Amino acid sequence: MLLYTIKRLLALIPTLLAASVLVFLFIHLIPGDPAAILLGDTATPEDVAALTREMGLDEPIWKQYALWLGNVLQGDLGTSVFFREPVLSVIGDGAETSILLATMTMFWIVLFGIPIGILSATKHGTWVDQMTSGGAMLFASVPTFWLGLYLILIFSVGLGWFPSSGFPSISDDGGLTNLRYLILPSLTLAAPNAALIIRLVRASMLDVSREDHVRTARAKGLHPAKVAIKHVFRNALIAVAAAFGFTFAALVSEAVVTETVFSLPGIGRLVVQSILRRDYPVIQGVILVIVVLYMIINLLVDLAYARLDPRVSLK
Amino acid sequence: MNMLRTFLAMFRGRKLATIGLIWLCIVGLAAIAAPLIAPFDPLEIDPVERLSEPGLPYLFGTDHFGRDSFSRAIYGARMAVIIGLGSVIVALVTGGLVGMLSAYFTRLGHVLMRGIDVLMAFPALLLALVLMTLLERSVTNTIIVIGIVYATTTARILFGMTLKLKGETFVDAAICSGAGHGSILFRHILPNLISPLLVQASFIFAFAQLQAAALDFLGLGLPPEVPSWGNMLSEERIYVTRAPWLLIFPGALIILSVFSMNLVGDAMRDSIDPRFKDDIAGV
Repeated sequence: MLLYTIKRLLALIPTLLAASVLVFLFIHLIPGDPAAILLGDTATPEDVAALTREMGLDEPIWKQYALWLGNVLQGDLGTSVFFREPVLSVIGDGAETSILLATMTMFWIVLFGIPIGILSATKHGTWVDQMTSGGAMLFASVPTFWLGLYLILIFSVGLGWFPSSGFPSISDDGGLTNLRYLILPSLTLAAPNAALIIRLVRASMLDVSREDHVRTARAKGLHPAKVAIKHVFRNALIAVAAAFGFTFAALVSEAVVTETVFSLPGIGRLVVQSILRRDYPVIQGVILVIVVLYMIINLLVDLAYARLDPRVSLK
Repeated sequence: MNMLRTFLAMFRGRKLATIGLIWLCIVGLAAIAAPLIAPFDPLEIDPVERLSEPGLPYLFGTDHFGRDSFSRAIYGARMAVIIGLGSVIVALVTGGLVGMLSAYFTRLGHVLMRGIDVLMAFPALLLALVLMTLLERSVTNTIIVIGIVYATTTARILFGMTLKLKGETFVDAAICSGAGHGSILFRHILPNLISPLLVQASFIFAFAQLQAAALDFLGLGLPPEVPSWGNMLSEERIYVTRAPWLLIFPGALIILSVFSMNLVGDAMRDSIDPRFKDDIAGV
């Protein structure tokens, strides 16, 4: 297991380096002088010249990359053009909202996705199965922002149960009750992903239920519920655990949209606003952070997978 | 005729998928005959009639510019088909070539597939957003960007499938009879991959609709004047409390079309070569 972990960690390095090259090149692919782009429209020619020297933009490109990578490794992702603040602290400001939103979303996904998936698989072929798996596919076909807008219309504007937008920090007045601001956004974000988990739990449980050990368990006269949970679901969970890495990527993508619909001060909305404001250092920084996070999560998922299913690390 | 019969046989006993197929045919017809069906010019502004309720002569009501929503929805179907087909072509051609060549030429594959790994380290919509910041908002650029995003998954799937086929006896036979690389790849291997490719195409078509709508909503997709379902939602969302129907129709059209495409893809996947079935992840 240790050897496998080290092997996986080492394999991560080249991909990470290549991704960092892409993120670095991003600033250079935008038409125009990178120094002028980084400083924004209000910069004077003197500022631009100074930054060109400071960033070593007159140096060969590989030297610039080495300099940039050195800064990144020391936690310096540059300065936001819009906020005039270090990029890392701008990202940090959005982290609370995004992390809480992601946690609540995962809670809904597990709460709805897994039991409904089990129900769908155990009632395979009946109308219950058709309703749940058809319903799941329908939910996976709904644009996130459309669902969000209608949830606001019904539960905020119509019934007045939940606030429609924004999110005050849980360290502000109200404390944990401020989490009510995140209920509608997290449900919006959970819907398509829970739908995928439902279909995945169903499909992998059906796969496992055809195996010999399940037939043996049934032949022994075990209670069907016990067979479904202990023998089928626990084995099916391996495939479901593997899908959580994919779920993270989907969450990031859909969080960009959801945070925009609900005007949440998170990292997803920061990406969109930075793009519209042409705040390139922030875009570059956020992308780098997300890519690194995504790779770490994929690694953790793979390690968990190897732990759940010892056959994986032996290969 | 024979192919059509095989295709229709996939839908036997699948009521929901058949309804989905019929709906997609309707969307396709609306896309082709948009100028004949649409009662008004989708771009014509009529301030007097702004935000009219659904009824006659405006079946789906009018938007805040007084443009006829029904006509815009019909032209939106055309845009949906163009974006869907365009993204499918870009994704299958680029991703397919990279995947097949990588599996066939092992050394080249080491390089190309690592490149795909790097691109896949970026979550889909994020990659699309980054690419859109470098490009102008236009129909072509939206198609290219969505196509590239799904080219990565297509490459990985085709890589796996080509690897499986490469070891088959018929490939050895082709090599022995002196066939060149091009002939083996495109005349012997590719024909076996057509049906899984079509299944993959149906899922890309569905995903592309959602991605394009999300890009439109964020103001980074099609130019705002283009009548697309995503733009209709994006432009009218601030009027949702005064005119909720403006979001119901385009939203329902997107959901129905994506749902239908997923159902059709599912039905097709169940009837392809079982060796490839697990390679294609749809919804």
